[in-house]
Amino acid sequence: MAEIVFAAGAPHAPGLIGLLEAAPADVKDVVVNTYRNLAEAIAAAKADVLIVFANDHLANSRIRTYPDFLIGMAAEHRGPYEWFKPWIGCEDYTVKGSPDVASALFNGMTKRGIRMFAQNENLKFDDNISVPVLLTNVVGAGIPMVPVLQNCTVPPIPDQRRCYEVGQALGDFIRNDLPADMRVALLGSGGLSHEPGGARYYFIDEEFDRWFLDLVASGDHEKLLNELTLEKMEAAGSGGTAELLAWVVVLGAIGSKPGKSFGYTVHKDFKCGVGGVLWDMDANMPKQRATA
Amino acid sequence: MGLEKFNPSLATHDLIQDLKWSPELREEFAADEAAVLDRYALRKDERRAIETRNFLALYDIGLHPYLGGQFARLIFGNEAGKGATVAVNKLVESLQGKGSVA
Repeated sequence: MAEIVFAAGAPHAPGLIGLLEAAPADVKDVVVNTYRNLAEAIAAAKADVLIVFANDHLANSRIRTYPDFLIGMAAEHRGPYEWFKPWIGCEDYTVKGSPDVASALFNGMTKRGIRMFAQNENLKFDDNISVPVLLTNVVGAGIPMVPVLQNCTVPPIPDQRRCYEVGQALGDFIRNDLPADMRVALLGSGGLSHEPGGARYYFIDEEFDRWFLDLVASGDHEKLLNELTLEKMEAAGSGGTAELLAWVVVLGAIGSKPGKSFGYTVHKDFKCGVGGVLWDMDANMPKQRATA
Repeated sequence: MGLEKFNPSLATHDLIQDLKWSPELREEFAADEAAVLDRYALRKDERRAIETRNFLALYDIGLHPYLGGQFARLIFGNEAGKGATVAVNKLVESLQGKGSVA
């Protein structure tokens, strides 16, 4: 039975790289501290593979043929895609892929009634994958990655209950289909509150963000599924905040566990609330396990 | 302003995706915008809104806001802290009531 040895959620706002230098010291501290802790935890987990769920941001597919989940099966993942380079302001990177795990994931989810799509060619990555890859030093740690880009913004959007079900199927796949001694890391990339492209582009909903971080760190998944609705996320930043659904997939896979946050910060230029959570994979809280 | 007016059939969505995916098309768009627009099945009001940089009108007829944000960057600049900031401010100005920001 393969094991989930690392699980976390973290934002991927492009400003976390391109605009970090110019940010105030207290803001910078939270960003650096959050990603340093996640980077250390990933390295310490000695994972054999990292599966990242992240908002696709309409980067790969036309709006009329838009997949809810798109798995990157390439042997190497290169990013960022050309047009996003000046916007993110980051270096080019190449991360080892895992075609074996990616194809097993595709087959495993299909078998469990979850429609995903999968592509052999390099996917187009923007901040969704580029920011966590660079800030958590995935390249340096040499961990193969399987990216899964999801639909968090094109209606109809798979909601929190559907994403939790997808996560439960993912957890079942990891435990039952992957090689018995495999160590798997999971990252939900996205959030916190933001409204990219909207009339409230600079809006950050601090109250929502703090509520969300406390809730996902509490391990109370029943409350999460009842209250983290699409309506609530849209109100906290339309077209952006709902990418927290990537965290919900990870939570469905791990079940109820307490988590730890490394602080929260708001900075206008990031146009996004910033805070991450690392879940304790050694904890056992069977009583709070939610049913999706 | 959210997704309630979203019209997935709007041809502007394809234009924006193609501009993102092709440096050659971006060059052509900058040099001869009309020639590029001629190749897309744009409604009259849709084309007019693009030509006058009226994001408010584009959103009213159903442009997806995420692609709207990218369209602003394709037009006004895409570099972190520089052109991209101009693009965000122009977009917000339009959406908050000004309409055309040509």
